[in-house]
Amino acid sequence: MRVAFVTPRYGTQIMGGAESAARMLAEHLVAECGADVEVFTTTALDHVTWQGVLDPGDSELHGVRVHRFTPTSGRDTAFYELDTRLRLGPRHATREEGDRWVDLNGPVIPALVDAVCDSGADVVAFYPYLYYPTVRAITKVPIPAVLHPAAHDEPALYFPVFRQTYERADALCYHTVAERSLVQRVHHVADRPQIVLGLGVSPDAGTGRPGGEILGIGDRPYVVSVGRVDDHKGSTMLAAFFRAYKARHPGPLALALVGPVVSRIPPHPDVVVAGPLDEADKWDVVGGALASVSPSALESFSLVVLEAWARSVPVLVNATCGPTREHAERSGGGLWFESFAEFDAVLDRLVADRALRRALGTRGRAYLDAHYQWPVLIRRYARFLDDVVARGRRRAPALAMSG
Amino acid sequence: MTPPQPHDAEQARTEQAAGTEEPPATDEPPATEEPAPADGPSLAEVMAEIDEEVRRRRREIPARLERELDAMFLEYSPMGSRYGDLGAALRMLDAAVFIDPVVPVASERPAGAVVKKGLRAASLWYMGYVTHQVSKFATAVSRTLHLVDNQLQEIHRALPPPLPAPVVAPGDATSWWVAPALDALVGAGGRVLHAACGDGWLVRALRERGADAYGVDPRGEILDTAAFEGADLREDPVLDHLRSVARGALGGLCLSGVVEGLAPAARAELLSLLGSRLSAGPAVLVVHSMSLSAWLADDAPVEADLALGRPLRPSTWRHLLTGWSVEVYDAPSGADYLLVARR
Repeated sequence: MRVAFVTPRYGTQIMGGAESAARMLAEHLVAECGADVEVFTTTALDHVTWQGVLDPGDSELHGVRVHRFTPTSGRDTAFYELDTRLRLGPRHATREEGDRWVDLNGPVIPALVDAVCDSGADVVAFYPYLYYPTVRAITKVPIPAVLHPAAHDEPALYFPVFRQTYERADALCYHTVAERSLVQRVHHVADRPQIVLGLGVSPDAGTGRPGGEILGIGDRPYVVSVGRVDDHKGSTMLAAFFRAYKARHPGPLALALVGPVVSRIPPHPDVVVAGPLDEADKWDVVGGALASVSPSALESFSLVVLEAWARSVPVLVNATCGPTREHAERSGGGLWFESFAEFDAVLDRLVADRALRRALGTRGRAYLDAHYQWPVLIRRYARFLDDVVARGRRRAPALAMSG
Repeated sequence: MTPPQPHDAEQARTEQAAGTEEPPATDEPPATEEPAPADGPSLAEVMAEIDEEVRRRRREIPARLERELDAMFLEYSPMGSRYGDLGAALRMLDAAVFIDPVVPVASERPAGAVVKKGLRAASLWYMGYVTHQVSKFATAVSRTLHLVDNQLQEIHRALPPPLPAPVVAPGDATSWWVAPALDALVGAGGRVLHAACGDGWLVRALRERGADAYGVDPRGEILDTAAFEGADLREDPVLDHLRSVARGALGGLCLSGVVEGLAPAARAELLSLLGSRLSAGPAVLVVHSMSLSAWLADDAPVEADLALGRPLRPSTWRHLLTGWSVEVYDAPSGADYLLVARR
């Protein structure tokens, strides 16, 4: 089977997000199913500027053939004014406004669209729904198309321009049941073949070095938050909550923020902004934490939650984030908060109650083992793709508009 | 599990301070760590205890601090959470109802804070006057909406409880009605949905005969194992699912064990959805249902007593499906029937 992936960024330099998920699926399809996999992507690494920094052309990465194209334009400055306006009433954006939003958001890359259409693959997987390559190519490709929305509850999901993106998908692959429910609430695609798959966790790369030593805080207890340190990911809110918590509960407890820093976090003696760490250090820091906090409301899966459970570390998640809340509730391996008062009470309970931490961590680990092991996941995915190929491409005239 | 006692938290903090709370991380796999307790409190128990604790702590946390922090939380909360239900929207409104006239004066420029502080002091009376009016208006709006919310809750309490519609006697591969149902559905053009599909027995039979079939069932525990056998089976309440199906997307639909238990309003919505979700061209509708006499009999399933609805008679279906070609097959026992409608 020849599988083509379309994703706006691709490479080991991309940390987290839909693009990393696409790379994991592509590489596991090659390694474990012997599939012939190629990726159509850009030369960009930055999801805001879409500036081409990698070499265009063909290359190979971990058995996957990669075709890179240089965007003709990235995010335009006019995007922000339009985005701000459309966010006020996303369902009421006109088709023309939505088209303009997609073009201004970038990366505009017509050559990639043409190349995918001519690829001769058996099936093409689009990841995620939000960007030009998916929006423009999914309506044109003559081969069966699987959409991996990687959707979260954001204004753009409600833009009518994306209705066609979803309706032109022959099948859908979701990270979680919560993501599926969200998408189906907005777009009427429940009749389409689909699968709730998720992602597997990479092998634990830890070396046993104490997390406190890596963070430079000695043997102080700490909670950790792994991921982009960014307002939009809840990092600033978490740091503010933690400072307020520490003002009420003095002690040695620290918060470690691990990941690329996008937003400035005000300095505080109990908040360690560690920045990006290598895999070994990241695993050791997570393994040594009392709990792992996922403050982001905008996740479509959250591997960091599963990575915490791989070390039997309990998690604390944003209650308004459907997928992480779903992980916590289904596994019994985590708690959640949706206000400072809840954060204060939940964190205090986790810090104080060692037996609870252990029970949550153990349940989380069991959930991970039962549902998110790569060999099982990738066999399900390959079987799903086989079925999509067998069904073939839906004819455009058969499309029905959502009611 | 008992709620955390103050001395527990104090002890833990003392342990932290002494650096004895938790051993440092190791690279050993979790299985070799100190054995975890075989079981612990359920999440519902823990979150109920925490809710109790939150109510207590809200009296301790300064209102202004809590408001500021909660506003930070809401700023990046998802669309659905902000606008999805009235309770969530009211929480957001309550958090934003007070307009603070005391603007922050921090500055990264030298003397910036002093200048800002001077401007704030000079304009505070005017700012305070305006923000007071706005806060009063917002408070009035908030109180009004809370009254609306209270009245809606009163109405909800007066309505019958929203029990999940039961799946009643859905049948299995050996049921008498399976052969005519398969014959009708295999010829349907387009996708065929089986609701409620159980473990997928009818979906698999349809796929073996070449139909493009899938199934939904609200009883997730039945689907857990079936989902791994390659069929497109999903845990989804039937009405929720049909609402998310595109208009005219289905070529065939089999309802087994679904219609009987639906409350009248839900049944009316189902009938409306049948009209819009099935193809406007040729379409097949198959309904397997208990008969009314079996529903009212002494040996009826317990769901019959608990459900808010009752089965429709075949003659009612004929009336509802005016314009369709309808065939009805009665069970030899008279306990149930199969209705096949073609358009």
